[in-house]
Amino acid sequence: MDRRTALKNLALVIGSTALLPRCTSHSSVAHFNSFDVTYDQQSLVLDMAETIIPKTATPGATDLGLDKFIWLMLDDCTKTDDQKAFFKGMGEFSDLVKKTYNKDFADCTKQEKMALLSTFEKKPGDKKDAKPANNYSKELNGFFGTVKGLTVFGYTESQYFMTKEIVYELVPGRYNAMYPVKNNMKA
Amino acid sequence: MANLNVDSAKERTYDAIVIGSGMSGGWAAKELTDKGLKVLMLERGRDVKHIKDYPTTNMYPWEFKHRGEMPMKVQEANPIVNRCYAFHEDAAHFFVKDAEHPYVQTKPFDWIRGYQVGGKSLLWARQTQRWSDFDFGGPARDGFAVDWPIRYKDIAPWYSHVEKFAGISGNRDGLDTLPDGEFLPAFPLNAVETYFSKHVKDHYKGRYVISARCAHLSKPNQIHLDQGRAQCQERTLCQRGCPFGGYFSANASTVPWALRSGKLTLRPYSVVESVIYDDNKGKATGVRIIDTNTKQTEEYYARIIFVNAAALNTNLILLNSKSKRFPNGLGNDSGVLGKYVAFHNYSAHIGAEVEGFEEWATDGRNPAGGGYIPRFRNVYKQETDFLRGYACGLYAYRGFKHSYEGIGEDFKAGLSKKEYGPWRVGSHMMGETIPKESNFVKLDPNLKDPWGIPQLNISVDYDDNDEKMKKDYVEQLTEMFTSAGFKNIKAETNHQAPGLDIHEMGGARMGNDPKTSILNKWNQVHSCPNVFVTDGASMTSTSCQNPSLTYMAFTARAVDHAVSEMNKGNI
Repeated sequence: MDRRTALKNLALVIGSTALLPRCTSHSSVAHFNSFDVTYDQQSLVLDMAETIIPKTATPGATDLGLDKFIWLMLDDCTKTDDQKAFFKGMGEFSDLVKKTYNKDFADCTKQEKMALLSTFEKKPGDKKDAKPANNYSKELNGFFGTVKGLTVFGYTESQYFMTKEIVYELVPGRYNAMYPVKNNMKA
Repeated sequence: MANLNVDSAKERTYDAIVIGSGMSGGWAAKELTDKGLKVLMLERGRDVKHIKDYPTTNMYPWEFKHRGEMPMKVQEANPIVNRCYAFHEDAAHFFVKDAEHPYVQTKPFDWIRGYQVGGKSLLWARQTQRWSDFDFGGPARDGFAVDWPIRYKDIAPWYSHVEKFAGISGNRDGLDTLPDGEFLPAFPLNAVETYFSKHVKDHYKGRYVISARCAHLSKPNQIHLDQGRAQCQERTLCQRGCPFGGYFSANASTVPWALRSGKLTLRPYSVVESVIYDDNKGKATGVRIIDTNTKQTEEYYARIIFVNAAALNTNLILLNSKSKRFPNGLGNDSGVLGKYVAFHNYSAHIGAEVEGFEEWATDGRNPAGGGYIPRFRNVYKQETDFLRGYACGLYAYRGFKHSYEGIGEDFKAGLSKKEYGPWRVGSHMMGETIPKESNFVKLDPNLKDPWGIPQLNISVDYDDNDEKMKKDYVEQLTEMFTSAGFKNIKAETNHQAPGLDIHEMGGARMGNDPKTSILNKWNQVHSCPNVFVTDGASMTSTSCQNPSLTYMAFTARAVDHAVSEMNKGNI
C-alpha cells in the first residue's frame, strides 16, 4: 500500500465529526448556546449557502451540511455584538426579499435568488477595495458577508473539497523549491 | 522517626536537579545523565510524551471542529495568549491560559508560556543561528550592559556539540556575521528568493539572503535515528508536536534520551517555590517544590542545581529564593537580579508583489520558512543613529489564484482552479534591544499566584533606539525591494507588547564582575557556585539571532564545567 492510499484509508477510519445543534425532531427551533434559530431562519441560511455554492456535478452546500457549520461558527466563534448584528441583518434581508419579490426567499426561483444575492457583490472589474453598489445598511451587508464567508470557508475546508478538488496533503514528504510550471491553467 | 526522615531525605537526594524540561532543561538532563549523574528533572506542568501526547498531530483541517479557529469565549478569556500567532485549535493545549498563572503588567508584556514537559520547545519556530563575536563583543564595543565574559571561541565547540545532536539544516555560507555550523542539507530558496538573494549580493555590500537555518532533520544522521527520530516530512504542522521527530524538541530528543539512560527521574506537576540555600554549609542544598495536585510542599536535594525554568520564571525562582545570606534573592549581592531584561523587536514587516517568475512555483512545504538576512547594520562600525541592528526573515510564495468575488456555479468552479497566481514576497524584522536597568521584573509585594508564590511584576518596554531601528528596517527593506523591482510595497509597523516575540532574555546575566552580574563565564552563580542558570535569564545581551541554539550550547558547556568541578571536589 503506498503512502497516499494509506492516508486515504486513515481518513476513512477517522471520518469527520459533524456537530449538530440540539434540535429535536418535533421542534422547529434549534437551540444553540447563544441563541435560538427558527425553522425559517435555518432554511434561509441553507438556501443562501446553496445559492452561493450550488449542487452541480459535484456536491453543494446542502450536501456538505455547510449551514450547520455556519450556525456552529456563529455560535462558538463570533462576538456577541456580531451575533446580534447578524440577526438584525437577517431580519432586514427577509424584508428586502419581500419588498423585491413579494414572497419569501425559499419561494424565489433560482434566478431571483441569484439576482438578489448579486446585489451584495461588487461589479466584475471593480477595484479590490471597492464596495458593492447598494445602499443597504451595515448589518444587511454584514449578514450576507458572514453567510458567504462561512459558506466558502466551510466549503474550501470540507473533507470533500480537500480530498477531491484541491487535495490537501497531511504529509507532503517533499519540498521542491523550484517547481516548473509548464502550462499554467488559464481561466 | 529520625531514621525515617533520614531515609526519606536520602530517597529525595540526587546528584543534580534540573528545574525545567524545555529547550535548555532537556539539554541539562541529557548532558548530566550522559556523564553518569543521577538527575531529578522538575517540570511545573503535565507530562507530554513524544507522539502519544500529540492529540492533533495527524488531524486533517476538516477534523477540527472550528477548522482551526479558537472559540470566541476562549479568545475573550485569554487576550494575552490569543495574540500569539500559534494559538489555534491545533496547538492551544500546549499554551498557558491567561488565568492559569497570573502576573502583574506594570507595563504591557505578553508573557507566552508552555507549561508541560518539553515547554516551548514543542512550539518554537525552530530557527537556529550561531552568534559571532560581533554579538558577544557588542556590549563592550557599544558601551551598554556589561561585557560578555566569553567570546565566540569559547562557545564554538559547544555549538558544534549541540548541533550534531539536535540536527540543524543550513548552508555553509561563509559569513563572518553568522558562523557556519555542523549542518544537514539546507532547505533551498525558491525562484524569487534566489533572485532576491543574487540581487542583494550584487547591489549591497555586506548584505546576504541565505537559506534560513533551522532545527529540522533534512537528512538524518545515525545519531538522530538513535534518538528515534526520522527525516522531516515537510508537514509544517510542527506546533502540534511531530510524530516523526522531524524537528528538535526536548520531547522528541533530549528528554527521552536522558530517560533511556535510567538515570533520570522526571517529576511533572512540580512548581518550584525556591532553591534552598543552607547558610551553615554556605551552598545551595536543594529545591523546594509545591506539588500542584496535592498542594503539598516537598523538598529535594542535590549537589548541583540547574535552573532552566525559562527566562522570566528563572528570575522568579531566584528572586524568591531568600535566605539569611541572600535576603534579596539567590546570588543577588549585586542587586541586578531581575534587571536588564531585554527581548527582540518584531514590530515591523513588509510585503510586496512580484512580477514575472511565472515559469516557477514551489511544491510541498518549506519547514525553514524561506530565507534569512543576517544583521548588516552597524556590524563593522557604528554607522546609524541607533545602536546594534536587526536580522530579517525573507520569504516569497505563490498560491493558486482564486477569486472570492461572485456566487453560484461559476464561482464554485473557480474555487477549484489550479491556476497559479502571482508571486508575493515578505519580510519581518528581528531587532536587538538594549538591556537596561529600567527594564526589569520583580516579585510583586502583595499578589500571590495559586500556589502562594509571589506573582511576577513585569516592567519592560521599548525605547527610542527600538523606534529608530524599526524606522531603519522599513527604509532599508523598502529600498531593497524597490531596487529588486518588487511592486506595490507595503510596510506595516505595530506596537506589539514586548514578550510576544517570545525571546525575553536576561535578569540573571553573565559577566566578569560579581558586582554587576549574577553569573560567571560558566553560567555559575558567582556567589553560589553549585547553582547554574543556562536559559534565557543568563543572557547579557540579546543580539538579533533566535536564541535557543545558544541556550543549548551554554547548557552543554556549563554541564561539562559543573561535572569537572564536582570531580575536583570544588562544588
